[in-house]
Amino acid sequence: MDQELKIELSKHGIFTTTFEELYNWGRKNSVWPLTFGLACCAIEMIATTMARYDLARFGAEVFRASPRQADLMIVSGTVTKKMAPQVVRLYNQMPEPKYVIAMGACAISGGPFRDGYNVLKGIDRYIPVDVHIPGCPPRPEALMHAFITLQKKIDAQQLTGEERPRHLKANEPSEFPVPEFGEHGLEPAQNPDVFHPLRILGQ
Amino acid sequence: MVVADNPWMTIVLLLFGALAFGTAPLALAWLWSKKFSPRKPGPDKNSIYECGLESEGDAWVRFHASYYLYAIVFLIFDVEAVFLLPFAVSFTRLSAGACIAMLVFLLLLVEGLIWAWQKGVLTWA
Amino acid sequence: MTQAISVEEIKAAMEAAVPGCRAEILRNESPSAQHSLLIDHEHAVNVAAFLRDDMALRLDFCSCVSGVDWPDREITEKVKVKKTVTTPEGEAQEQDVEETRKTMIPGFLEAVYHLFSIEKKHGPVVLRMRTVNRGGDARLPSLTPVWRSAEFQEREAFDLYGIVFEGHPDLRRILMWEGFADYPMRKDYVPPAEDDVEAVAK
Repeated sequence: MDQELKIELSKHGIFTTTFEELYNWGRKNSVWPLTFGLACCAIEMIATTMARYDLARFGAEVFRASPRQADLMIVSGTVTKKMAPQVVRLYNQMPEPKYVIAMGACAISGGPFRDGYNVLKGIDRYIPVDVHIPGCPPRPEALMHAFITLQKKIDAQQLTGEERPRHLKANEPSEFPVPEFGEHGLEPAQNPDVFHPLRILGQ
Repeated sequence: MVVADNPWMTIVLLLFGALAFGTAPLALAWLWSKKFSPRKPGPDKNSIYECGLESEGDAWVRFHASYYLYAIVFLIFDVEAVFLLPFAVSFTRLSAGACIAMLVFLLLLVEGLIWAWQKGVLTWA
Repeated sequence: MTQAISVEEIKAAMEAAVPGCRAEILRNESPSAQHSLLIDHEHAVNVAAFLRDDMALRLDFCSCVSGVDWPDREITEKVKVKKTVTTPEGEAQEQDVEETRKTMIPGFLEAVYHLFSIEKKHGPVVLRMRTVNRGGDARLPSLTPVWRSAEFQEREAFDLYGIVFEGHPDLRRILMWEGFADYPMRKDYVPPAEDDVEAVAK
């Protein structure tokens, strides 16, 4: 059905939809994040869920305390090298479809600790990140913007065809290798299947 | 018809309606997942959730024997309360013999408590 | 907090109480004037126990243990030396010649303890200990048996500087993981080259 006919019908009080739209509409309005904060950004995330900013308006009111019930991982804060395997393992334990928001300068790149010995240079080295938010820390509005961006992304996902998202493809992985503690740092330093810095740079 | 005239018929129909209301979305979701989303189990996803850490050892570990004393002392006084309640409710109607029997029962338990107290079971650590 | 007792007095009391102990006063010329006492390894635990138990001092609280890395230093100085030089005319002549001398000062690791007395309300008294070198002999006696609060901080100094505290009850890495080989707070530590976005983009 083409879009014009649909709009025309809705003017006459007839609502039409597709399975795909209905499916995505249901998913995007009930994204449940994982209860999980790493550093100062977590405070902003908590503020976002509280009454003043009220993330519940967008269907994310239930922060699940178990990855088994969560859809969204908000990596809010500095991921130290000692914490990185745990974060990746938590991501692996979440059921599909799952999404990741990397919140704050540290989570997207290491931030001010980038040149240190103990901080991971961005969580996108090990797990696929859907939305990056810069800021130190980002304000709650920025997190809500990221959340709405994620909702738009979910809304655009196709149910069938080659362009369908990872969780609908049988041969695409749902788990990513957990880095090991090495003698000088994490091994491997990044997962080349996931880490595409050139794509981030837009090249 | 005999079946339709049965006064319980409405309830039976409502019962089936309620069952369908509960199971139909589940069945639809199951069919949907069969059709569209492939199952992706894995060693990490199926592992025990320990806040992201790998679980160490077995959950079936031995507890110290003194914990069983706590459990037994708790159980005894729990049961005591169960017996005391009907005793208290019908207290005014009981004979002297029944009261004495109850007092003996309480005395035995108090003796047990004193024993446990003296053994030092009730002090932590 | 006031420093009721001067470092000189403490040093004298220490040397009187612990025979054979060698202490050295390191002056801090900044306005804070927190002079510190450098003590030797053999008598360190006895000295620490004396500082804690002495009725006049009662330094019952070790608030802070820090590690300091002093890398090998090379000092270049110009010295005027008298030398016999043969002039072009063929005469031997004594002349003042400038010569550059390079002296290597070997590096060491240092542990700094800040001590306070809660009972007497004075402090801090700063204790220092230095290792022989930065390599295999980076050992110091542990003061955890004297001040319990030093335990985790000595572990941290061990973890990040590689100072081995002998006599420590539980000397393991505390911030980095077991199996980590480097000491990241040392001045010569270089973090591992991880492929950066910039490096990949080049």
